Amino acid sequence: MTVAAGIGYALLALGPSLSLFVSVISRKPFLILTLLSSTLVWLVSLIVLSGLWRPFLPLKANVWWPYALLVLSSVCFQESLRFLFWKLYMRLEDVLDSFADRISRPRLFLTDKLQIALAGGLGHGVAHAVFFCLSLLTPAFGPATFYVDRCSKVPFFLVSAIIALAFVTIHTFSMVIAFEGYAKGNKVDQVIVPVIHLSAGMLTLVNFASEGCVIGVPLLYLVASLTLLHCGKMVWQRLIESRNQSGPTLR
Amino acid sequence: MAMGLPRLVATAFTLTLVSIFLPLPFSLAGEITSIESVPDLQRLMYVAVDGYPCVRLLNLSGEIGCSNPGLSKVVAPIIKLKDVKDLVQPHTVLVTPDEMEDFFTRHVPLVSNDLSFASKIGGVLIESGSSFQQKLKGLSPDNMFPQAEFSPYGNVEYKWNPTASSIMWKAYNFPVYLLSESGMSAVHEFLSKKERKHKTYTSDVAEFSMVMETTKAGTHNSEACLQEGTCLPLGGYSVWSSLPPINVSSSNNRKPIVLTVASMDSASFFRDKSFGADSPISGLVALLGAVDALSRVEGFSNLKKQLVFLVLTGETWGYLGSRRFLHELDLHSDAVAGLSDTLIETVLEIGSVGKGLSGGINTFFAHKTRVSSATNKTLDALKVAQDSFASKNIKILSADKTNPGIPPSSLMAFMKKNPQTSAVVLEDFDTKFANKFYHSHLDDLSNVNSSSVVAAASVVARTLYILASDNKDTSSSALGSIQVNASFVEELLACLLSCEPGLSCNLVKDYISPTNTCPGNYAGVMSGEPSSNPYLGSVSDVSRFLWNFLAEKTSVQKGNTTSVCSKGSCSRTDQVCIKAESNKEGTCVVSTTRYVPAYSTRLKYADGAWTILPQNTSDSMGMVDPVWTESNWNTIGLQVYTVQHSAYDNAVLVAGITVTTLAYFGIMVAKSFITKALKQD
Repeated sequence: MTVAAGIGYALLALGPSLSLFVSVISRKPFLILTLLSSTLVWLVSLIVLSGLWRPFLPLKANVWWPYALLVLSSVCFQESLRFLFWKLYMRLEDVLDSFADRISRPRLFLTDKLQIALAGGLGHGVAHAVFFCLSLLTPAFGPATFYVDRCSKVPFFLVSAIIALAFVTIHTFSMVIAFEGYAKGNKVDQVIVPVIHLSAGMLTLVNFASEGCVIGVPLLYLVASLTLLHCGKMVWQRLIESRNQSGPTLR
Repeated sequence: MAMGLPRLVATAFTLTLVSIFLPLPFSLAGEITSIESVPDLQRLMYVAVDGYPCVRLLNLSGEIGCSNPGLSKVVAPIIKLKDVKDLVQPHTVLVTPDEMEDFFTRHVPLVSNDLSFASKIGGVLIESGSSFQQKLKGLSPDNMFPQAEFSPYGNVEYKWNPTASSIMWKAYNFPVYLLSESGMSAVHEFLSKKERKHKTYTSDVAEFSMVMETTKAGTHNSEACLQEGTCLPLGGYSVWSSLPPINVSSSNNRKPIVLTVASMDSASFFRDKSFGADSPISGLVALLGAVDALSRVEGFSNLKKQLVFLVLTGETWGYLGSRRFLHELDLHSDAVAGLSDTLIETVLEIGSVGKGLSGGINTFFAHKTRVSSATNKTLDALKVAQDSFASKNIKILSADKTNPGIPPSSLMAFMKKNPQTSAVVLEDFDTKFANKFYHSHLDDLSNVNSSSVVAAASVVARTLYILASDNKDTSSSALGSIQVNASFVEELLACLLSCEPGLSCNLVKDYISPTNTCPGNYAGVMSGEPSSNPYLGSVSDVSRFLWNFLAEKTSVQKGNTTSVCSKGSCSRTDQVCIKAESNKEGTCVVSTTRYVPAYSTRLKYADGAWTILPQNTSDSMGMVDPVWTESNWNTIGLQVYTVQHSAYDNAVLVAGITVTTLAYFGIMVAKSFITKALKQD
């Protein structure tokens, strides 16, 4: 499909991440570090999962329940890891805050904390995109293209990039929701993140059906938009709250 | 706000449930080819197609054969010949076996006139197999009178080969590939996929890697390419063996020689698919069957004449084998030690003998070079041998007197060298070839009849015994004991004319370790220095098999002691080391069996390079020799894959850039909202 198409697919999957990086993350070196370490952590988690599942491969290709089990176990693993990740972040936050006190600088603002969570989520999204889409993209730079029988309307690489984009969105914003949920003890936020992750994973099983990707992919984008909306609403609420809190003290 | 959240949670839960149960009603139909790695994906994307290429050959005046037109691979969309109408860009034409002859004789020569079809041929794929119609009509890519320039008589317009189309002697500026069975099914499967999904913005292309070095270097004839080292001359190693072994050291008491000749090389439009079943392998198998029968006869050393069997190669390309053999005889070289052209009394060539069976009778025709006492003796011997069979199902007839002379055969070279040669060639045809597939890729095992070959072998074996004993009153019991082993002949036909079992059959593996399973009876190139004791890695499988086989069959057991030889050499000079390949440790046998290099008499090998000698009027055949060479190449292959139109690729790139920039603007908007929210008082 030539270099043009290859770059196109890569941009589809990771272009918005690149935009986010350039506009938000790259302004603060600490966020770049967070992004890199988060990517590493989630890549390692995916590698560990593939290691755990290796003895059971290859899965039978014409039944769907082994794949459902695979998705379920992977989501559970990653969600537990997300909680640990948050715990690690809390430790780090304490360290940063005490350091700030010592040198008489202000502590982390809400926006800083949100940005750190965003960087963490972006790391998760990028890890997903690299693992599931970019690693398969090398043949896309050659002259040939490939169509899968069960999703024959679009090239394989295009579907892969589109699905990766949806997951990047989901992972990036779920991390923000999750961090706030754990910090504030908000049960709804804490539960909704694993639910979104699991449902997104399960929706990819719809692609197993012949031409299932016509239904599966739009539904996946529905989940992604829901995540985006929920995150937006939550962030807006927090910002209004914090403004109201800090407002009287500034006067 | 609080009310929105439970709603969101509920929606998410429903989605999860839906996604678990949604796949259930859908049937997971069909087999998925599981892709487990990126190389797996690439293998599915680029389908390698198996087949036989047509390669570039050169002679003194130009080129023949096929090649990629430039230095790069040819990539062209595949289209069936019947769907060809107004092509805009070069395409790969898929031709059925029926359409092949027509395509090359009618469509392709119109290249210079018919602009609509001219440079629109990117490459050609020929499907394998043959239809019933084709079997009736016949297809020969050779000329009407093959190698007419070597004929010893004037009538070069005589049509020995009526089904000829001469397409193999033309030059084509595009790659041509014959698909094998597996290749054909791969291509058809690939094309049918497209029909099922009717994608309008993709096309299925074939990619030919058939870049020839002579095209790259710009050397377009033999002289130039040999100088540049971009080609190698055609040739090989002929084998001769004498029954019984000749005592080389004592040059007196040499008996007159009855020379039996056959060829082992064929050719076709496609380099690697030229079994040459009827022409000439049936003759070779008959000779081997006769040798096998005669090896069981006692008392050969008491007979009046010496039998020598000679199997030549390179005969298709200017009678390289016979010319070099005769030249070596003139030079009295090591390769022909023990022989001398004055000793050769008569020559019997076994030509095409696979199609003699008709109505239960095997009929063969004896074509003689000239009328002489020696040829009369041969014809009489053939008659006696024919009558000695109780079943009376073999008939030998003299060729029609209206024939202009002998048919195209090695004897033409013998005659040109020495017009006084007394020789007879035995063929299964009279006035024109019975083989409708002369030098075609369709001249395979189904084109010959094993009983015809067995009959020819039987009659030749008895004829040779009669000639060697020089006594027409040979008792019928002596003759009757000479029996050709029919199962041996059938096994040998399967070994030399098919790919299953091919050269991995037990018969061949007993003597050599073959490098290929499929016998390619194309002569090939002469790699390395030609010598009478060549490096066995440069000698073809069939030549090595013949050398070992003939050495064993013509050997005599001096006492019952057989010694082993591990390094290919035996202690006594009259011994040779046979079967040294498969068993690692060979056996020393007393035999006179030699390799004779077969290459053009116009060529000389010196200091690692080939040079063309100037024309020599004493070498009349060298004057008309085209000096065939074959271009070198790096890789030859074919793959098919699907390509997207560049508009689609560009659309994807634009979509990627758009998504990125839209995301950027979206983030900017969100950022400004947030800063406004923070700054608001």
